[in-house]
Amino acid sequence: MKTIELTIDDRQVAVEEGTSVFDAARMNGISIPVLCHAQNERPIGVCRVCTVDCGDKVLQASCVRPAENGMKVYTASDKVKKHRRMILELLMSDHPSPCARQRVSGDCELETQAAAEGIVTPRFSKHVSRRGQDDSSLVISVDHEACILCDRCIRGCDEIRHNDVLGRRGKGYNAGIAFDLNRPMGTSSCVSCGECMVSCPTGALTNKSVIRTVLPGGDPVGVDELKQLPFFQKVSGTFLDLNKNAVIKRRFRAGDIICREGDYGSTAFYILEGKVEVYLQSMMKQKPGHAEGPGVIDRLARVFSPRRKPASATNNGTIPMDSVIDLTREKPVAELGEGDIFGEMTCMSLYPRSATVRAKTDCVMLEMLRNVLDVIQRNKTLRAELEKNYRKRALEDHLRTVPIFSGLSAEFIDHLAQRVELVRYTNGEVLCRQGEPATHFFLVRIGFVKMVEEHPGGDLVLAYQGKGGFFGEIGLLTRGTYAFTVTALDNVEVVRIAAEEFREMLDRFPDISHKLRTQAREREEHNKRHSAAVAAVSLDSFLKQGLMESNSLLVIDLEKCTRCDNCVKACSEAHDGVTRLVREGLRFDKFLIPTSCRHCRDPLCMIGCPVGSIRRRNSLETVIEDWCVGCGLCARNCPYGNITMQPVPDSGAQKASVTKRKATACDLCADLPEPSCVYACPHDAAHRVEPNTFFRSLISAAADDNIFVTPEDVEGRRH
Amino acid sequence: MRIDATHKGWAIATIGILAVATIGYLPYSLFYPGGPTGNTWPGLIYGVLGYAMMLFAGLLGARKKRPLWRIGRAKVWMRGHLWLGALSLPMILFHAGFAARGPLTFVMTILLVVVVLSGIVGAMLQHYLPARIMAEVPLETIYEQLPVVREQLREEAGAIVGRLCARPEFAAATASTYETGRVGVLEAGDEETVDLTEQERANLWHVFTTGIVPFLREPESKESPLANAIKARLYFEALRRQCPASVHEALNDLESICDEERQLTRQRRMYLILHSWLLVHVPLAVTLLVLGAIHAVVAIRY
Repeated sequence: MKTIELTIDDRQVAVEEGTSVFDAARMNGISIPVLCHAQNERPIGVCRVCTVDCGDKVLQASCVRPAENGMKVYTASDKVKKHRRMILELLMSDHPSPCARQRVSGDCELETQAAAEGIVTPRFSKHVSRRGQDDSSLVISVDHEACILCDRCIRGCDEIRHNDVLGRRGKGYNAGIAFDLNRPMGTSSCVSCGECMVSCPTGALTNKSVIRTVLPGGDPVGVDELKQLPFFQKVSGTFLDLNKNAVIKRRFRAGDIICREGDYGSTAFYILEGKVEVYLQSMMKQKPGHAEGPGVIDRLARVFSPRRKPASATNNGTIPMDSVIDLTREKPVAELGEGDIFGEMTCMSLYPRSATVRAKTDCVMLEMLRNVLDVIQRNKTLRAELEKNYRKRALEDHLRTVPIFSGLSAEFIDHLAQRVELVRYTNGEVLCRQGEPATHFFLVRIGFVKMVEEHPGGDLVLAYQGKGGFFGEIGLLTRGTYAFTVTALDNVEVVRIAAEEFREMLDRFPDISHKLRTQAREREEHNKRHSAAVAAVSLDSFLKQGLMESNSLLVIDLEKCTRCDNCVKACSEAHDGVTRLVREGLRFDKFLIPTSCRHCRDPLCMIGCPVGSIRRRNSLETVIEDWCVGCGLCARNCPYGNITMQPVPDSGAQKASVTKRKATACDLCADLPEPSCVYACPHDAAHRVEPNTFFRSLISAAADDNIFVTPEDVEGRRH
Repeated sequence: MRIDATHKGWAIATIGILAVATIGYLPYSLFYPGGPTGNTWPGLIYGVLGYAMMLFAGLLGARKKRPLWRIGRAKVWMRGHLWLGALSLPMILFHAGFAARGPLTFVMTILLVVVVLSGIVGAMLQHYLPARIMAEVPLETIYEQLPVVREQLREEAGAIVGRLCARPEFAAATASTYETGRVGVLEAGDEETVDLTEQERANLWHVFTTGIVPFLREPESKESPLANAIKARLYFEALRRQCPASVHEALNDLESICDEERQLTRQRRMYLILHSWLLVHVPLAVTLLVLGAIHAVVAIRY
């Protein structure tokens, strides 16, 4: 991308071509007031508050004005200030001040900005248009009179959530927002996801406080208190009010465990007071020279399986973990203090927590659900900060733990960490294509990728790789082009090393060069054998059905199943008469994969839940909490159709969910020792299994050498 | 339930109990004064054990009604049902000394034999049929959904032929039909690509209404050639020869609809076979348990 240079308030800045003036200023720490533009939405430039002087004949709305090379921008000149003040005065003259939001959370953006400009009483006569209120929704209160027609709610509804409920109605003073074809909100197709409320800068759309997000335990934190913290300053007060108890204050005594390595959590922690220690529970096993070596079977396995290496060969003076500070072998504990955040990597990647955190002193911290973190990240500045931390940790950690890089010096890893990229891909995106010039070496950090050899008659799946796998070396070492096409199968994160760095590494570390060349040769031979055998039919089917993604897969042995449906009846009985299992689905070998939650390693269903109700507690099962608003996003996101929307009985205002439908999915009968469907099967046909282990013999054609890397293999390598 | 290696423990225990019971029975039958009858102590012990086994076997039905009760996995109950149920027959025969001495005991003996035999037949069916269903009915659906799926297939076939023959009243398939995602021919606007003369349309419509529709309406009837896989293949091959290549894809879809219909018929038949033996086994077993209880009370009291 081409870089351009411009001057903003006499400061020389450089940004990528296509960046708006607003973003150019933001990225360089210059704040421009705005009302109609939320950083996570498409700018439309209707409020004109972000007006700046770009040297054009007229002032320009900076959110939609692209920056140009050599442009001189003034964001706070007298002319601009006068203009902005006029707009705010006009808006205030039409605004019922204080509006509902200002009264409740004190953060109406219009009133805050007007106050900042010293506008107490507008020069123009107060003329609030009589557009009325709409109180028909059980969740959201609509005050059309407080609406400034910024369209943030419309873009939130249509472009972010794709619900397409909100639009415009009327003209002139009667113009306003409308639900469907101007129906009352309560009778419209609105699913009460709350996005419009979160987007609204004023009190036009406010929360009725009926959805009770319940993060168990802890003390509630007031919106005012949260807004004092820099971390929450950019978060909508309406959102925080709506999600009361989605952020709670917890107190820990020195020595208390705050979160545990390996737990599936969906919360992040912000330290208000005190210090915590971050460490690996299994760290003693990773210390070199520790008396506790692997068992006899492990030793035998090591002899017969060269893939399984002891941990000492994989680490390079540090113990891999997710923390701000790396753990060294000599002192395998890191410390975090006031203002630090941890646990956000689990929220962002949806993978288990990678370290245990223990209170070193008495601590006070805020625990927040994923949806709060999501909203915080809509602010691009904060997001960039979080991303920066995440990338730094992720890159350094990963480079230190990859077995193939075990011979690299610490100094070279630091050097490499500065130059490599952490790149994310979504399901279906191509990482590299067969036949294209090889420009990078890839290390898989999170997720699964599929390696496919393209043939004229169709594609041949060679293998898939999970965390710890790598590819691209054949192209860089021998052919010059990529040997196969690699596609992301879920949300994938890879460390990408450019060809120059890769070659430098090989020059400096001949051992690694030798290992990679051997690996490339073996892999090519394997591919040839595999192509000849074409024994990957079952593997292909395994991949296509996404079975490797599952943590806990319900399988029904069709040779044993008598179709008595006792599993379905048991499920129904365990869940108030509503089954979460449909005995129909795809087949793999002699097994039926019924429609029932697979508790995926990378649960797409959790992405975007507006109230954070679909989440993991501290175990692998994905649960849908009682505060689900029934927006159906998780059901739409689930690629396997395993989440269904069920009507809930209207049980009065005391019930947490006030909507008519609720998402339901298998919870593995979390309150019972074993899933009811399995327990109730009289024919020993239904089983909950970990598919990579259960189907290992079927997919062993591809697992016979290093090309097939499962999470278990990676674990084996790490420990 | 499939009888496989996992039943080894139960099989060994059952054979062991049977061996012990037989070894006990031999001297009892040979030397006990008056011979083996139900009213002797050894006979009573055999009777109590036999009835207890029958009762346990019978409780499987009650166990299934309470799937959430953590009182042992259902598969353990099922294995117990199979092996102890089978063992109850020799125990009761030992109890009675292989003789029925009154009308009630005669009826009960007959009932027991029928119940055990029907159970064995059922076990065999459950051992073999699921694998056959899996192999022969790849498009198996939930049994209760058969009428719905069949209705969808009829609509889908109507939609395909309706478009080919320019009959809009048939072309309008329901949304559920589209969800099957069978063919692109259902896409709107495709009728323009169909290259059929009026005569060909009329012929195709005739074939549809006189051949395919009757089969889809009554798939169980054996009169239609489409009820037989080989005849159906020849039927569609002949049809393809008579129609231009542009509609072959649609005809392939019609053929696959008929194939699915045949699979559903096969599924229904196999399902009935798989479960119909229960109509004999369960009521007779309940009757047997009731009569057994009456027999026990009468025998002990009088």
